[in-house]
Amino acid sequence: MTVPSPTSEVPNTLLETRLGPLTLKNPVVTASGTFGYGLEFTDFVELSKIGALCTKGLSLAPHAGNVPPRICETPAGMLNAIGLQNVGVKNFLEEKLPRLRDLGATVIANVWGDTEEDYVAVVGALEGADAVAAIELNISCPNVEKGGMLFGNSPSATASLVARVRATTARTLVVKLSPNAPDLVESARAARDSGADVLSLVNTFVGMAIDPVTARPRLSFGTGGLSGPAIKPLAVRMVFQVARALPEVPLMGIGGISDLSDVLEFLAAGASAVQIGTANFRDPGVSGRLVDELESYCRDRKTTVRSLVGRAQRAPAGDEAGAEG
Amino acid sequence: MTFRAPQLARDVTPGRFVMLEVEGGLRPYLRRAYSVADADPGAGEVEFLVKTIGPGTATLENLAEGSEASLLGPLGNGFSLAGLGRDARVAIVAGGIGAAPFPLLLRALRAAGHAGDLYLGGRNAAELDFRVRFEGLVDGETVVSTDDGSLGERGFITAAFARRAAARPVPYSRVYACGPMPMFAALARVVDRERIPAEFSTEAAMGCGFGACLGCVISGREKPFVISCVEGPILPPQKIAWERL
Repeated sequence: MTVPSPTSEVPNTLLETRLGPLTLKNPVVTASGTFGYGLEFTDFVELSKIGALCTKGLSLAPHAGNVPPRICETPAGMLNAIGLQNVGVKNFLEEKLPRLRDLGATVIANVWGDTEEDYVAVVGALEGADAVAAIELNISCPNVEKGGMLFGNSPSATASLVARVRATTARTLVVKLSPNAPDLVESARAARDSGADVLSLVNTFVGMAIDPVTARPRLSFGTGGLSGPAIKPLAVRMVFQVARALPEVPLMGIGGISDLSDVLEFLAAGASAVQIGTANFRDPGVSGRLVDELESYCRDRKTTVRSLVGRAQRAPAGDEAGAEG
Repeated sequence: MTFRAPQLARDVTPGRFVMLEVEGGLRPYLRRAYSVADADPGAGEVEFLVKTIGPGTATLENLAEGSEASLLGPLGNGFSLAGLGRDARVAIVAGGIGAAPFPLLLRALRAAGHAGDLYLGGRNAAELDFRVRFEGLVDGETVVSTDDGSLGERGFITAAFARRAAARPVPYSRVYACGPMPMFAALARVVDRERIPAEFSTEAAMGCGFGACLGCVISGREKPFVISCVEGPILPPQKIAWERL
């Protein structure tokens, strides 16, 4: 009897998906910043059931985040400027990760910093943690003064940071791209060329809401990141473009995914996995349910997730959407 | 506004809340937080007192009779009756629709044999129309004030409370309060001066209601921010940095 190797080309279930060196049991991943440390959701989702969870963005030291108000609702979505509040990587390793491991969760640690050295230090702190399946570099948070999005908005800054981190770890490295970058394909290429194994896209779009009576911004930070169904068509377009330009790079698609048809849409655009974000706030059980729905879909249609990836790239009349400018 | 929700009606305790979603909506996309005003476990019903403050509440008020909505809860920590002596007398201070969580609390106080005086303040008489909801629930005095004097005393309810609290030979054992932040800030000074333990039902815009989004933080005294939905919404005033709100 032969045991399929983890790098086997043939998926051994309907739902299995490959992200470079990492194989996930299914493509439903929860997005950083919308799923806490996973433990907040144990009443609603069996964490071992979903493909993976991305933690709240971790920094070397605990971080307090921005003063409120931090969120406001917008049509079909929300703006947030949380400011990367988190418990710090040390607390995560001591308090959160052991419980996640006991629950059988596949953990992608999302990390951020103000400087390249900060990123390297956080990744270094995670180095011994076997329960972490991959690292996701957040180079695209729009809600902090330093670091964050600055690394994501210039391909040379992206390349420099990703290369620095790549040199320090052999782990699966995911880079989460900013839709606010002037040219997302260039950013994606820079991350790939510097050693990213996987790209996740997109983070939130910089937006703003103003109280019409007081004329003051609704968020204390002024601007915030727009998420939710409002951004879905923008995100689908970006995933489609990057998948077309860099067909060999595995992608995780993110942006307003709330139901099965959204998942199928992102897979078709070229994502090998999807991240569920803002929908977790409205419907904390949605990720587990999407795994079930996707399984039923694949079973009914006698298909596999792997064959659903990139269908739109193969369909005719995609050239225009893939064109730049 | 009453919903049939048997499990919630059984499980809820005073001061806890639910995140309510009207099916299929994109505006609002997120759920909205509501304190549970009252619950009848026998009938399997829960009640909310609702005032229109935005698209979410408007949607809820526009629900036709017989409509369905999804209620996530009970969430948050709730008021505590622990430590109240048998002859304890408490004060309940409410600003406007901030009175929402109090019918359930008044029932719990009565069941435990505690007396309580209700202080109800609003801008005008019309804003306090819902006060009929409290009739027969208060085992004590009811004091009403309005900014324009159209009902009860003229002035802020915190001032009416401060005068009576200071004049009491036996201090109140505890103050339960719910209302807008300026009312809380004024009341925090009074309870500090009179050394009365207090529990404030705080309000902050909530994205999720269960500690994941970190959107509902309040500036804290012991640490930069208190996460309202999971560490509260019921908080002692000492935990809140009033000067930074």
